[in-house]
Amino acid sequence: MAPSEEIPSSEQRHQKIKDRILSLKKQIRFSKWWTALFFLISLGAAVNFRFLPPISENVRQFLGISPSSTLISVALIIYAFSALILILGRMNTASVHFHGWSHIGYLSAFYLFYYYSGTLRDNFWAVFIAGLTILSLENYRVWSVCSETIKKEEKTLAFLDK
Amino acid sequence: MFNNFVSKAIVPVALSITGFVVICSIVLCSSIKEDLLKTTVQQETNLAATVISATRYTMMTDDRKSLNYIINSIGDQKGVEHLRIFNKEGVIMFSSTPEELNQVVNKTTAGCIECHSGSEPSVRLGSMELARRFVNADNHNVLAITAPIYNDALCSAGDCHFHPAEKKVLGTLDIGLSTASLDSNLQALHWKMVSFCVMILILSVGGVSALLKRNLLTPINQLMDYVKKLSGGEMDNDFPKGISEIETLSQIYLDMAREKQLTETRLIKIQKTDNINKGEDE
Repeated sequence: MAPSEEIPSSEQRHQKIKDRILSLKKQIRFSKWWTALFFLISLGAAVNFRFLPPISENVRQFLGISPSSTLISVALIIYAFSALILILGRMNTASVHFHGWSHIGYLSAFYLFYYYSGTLRDNFWAVFIAGLTILSLENYRVWSVCSETIKKEEKTLAFLDK
Repeated sequence: MFNNFVSKAIVPVALSITGFVVICSIVLCSSIKEDLLKTTVQQETNLAATVISATRYTMMTDDRKSLNYIINSIGDQKGVEHLRIFNKEGVIMFSSTPEELNQVVNKTTAGCIECHSGSEPSVRLGSMELARRFVNADNHNVLAITAPIYNDALCSAGDCHFHPAEKKVLGTLDIGLSTASLDSNLQALHWKMVSFCVMILILSVGGVSALLKRNLLTPINQLMDYVKKLSGGEMDNDFPKGISEIETLSQIYLDMAREKQLTETRLIKIQKTDNINKGEDE
């Protein structure tokens, strides 16, 4: 410790641990909110985004021909495989941060691609199950790491109280 | 609930394997369905082309009686739900269902709208765009194809005919086949995929659980029992064997317990000696 650094007082250490527990609990809640957002997007996809205005001919001409549904499905399988491998790998690092928000973006993009190619009805369940698996695993990882850390912090808090 | 060792090891593995297998199965099912549908549409397009070709001569000679007979014969075949020919104005001129003769087709319905969405109807479409699926009045699932009957030199230049050369489409043939066999095949495929996913889930969870129990949980439980015995003072060499890491741990615990016992014996001896010395001094 540098000579200028002061040893934190008991109250300060108490507060620091309590803040950390709060931030970990927030992280668990945060991951649940992102999953809820995915369910909301999926609800829109389940009804084939019928609340959106139909894509006009001009927009279709500007965007060009959609990729075939087979190509989108191959991309979805590769994405799901890579995402699961990355999450399983992240389990070893014990990171408490939720990385699911990027997956919401990717999964929504898959919904939109299928919607644009007109095959969303046939492929909705594939994207939904992919999202459910990836986000459940990421949620489980965050919950498991955060719960463990919270327990440790609570033990430290109890020790300081003694 | 999820804090024990088994769930921590099994949940991520079971979730990722089952999830991935389900995704692949759905994608595979969807791809097979698309391929089957494409093949059926292609077969139906060929059938429509065959009907047009078979009725061509009767159309050229304006033999309506023979044309009616051909349409009715094909319409009576098993699996054919409807067969009709309508003219450029959408009036049904020939049909396997006599009740709908001379009725006008609604151009905004499925199967018509694809060509008639703009101010000018599309002249040529791919076979997939010409196909439509719907449930008919008899509650049968139908896959229908509309094949345009194009004008050609023989039609426009024939002595007996009145079709001008600039008229590209003279009429449309509409044929609908029952999709009962296709639907039952797809249903069977779905159930096979569901059973496959359930088997994968059982195998992955069961396999991982069995391996964990055999190689980790049972030895850990044995080690815990052995350590409890050691702490109670039972010094035997009967520690769990089979897994090298568990054997090493047991050996270390045994050595520590022996060391502790030896130290305690020495301490007692020293205390006794001290007591004797104190007594002699007094």
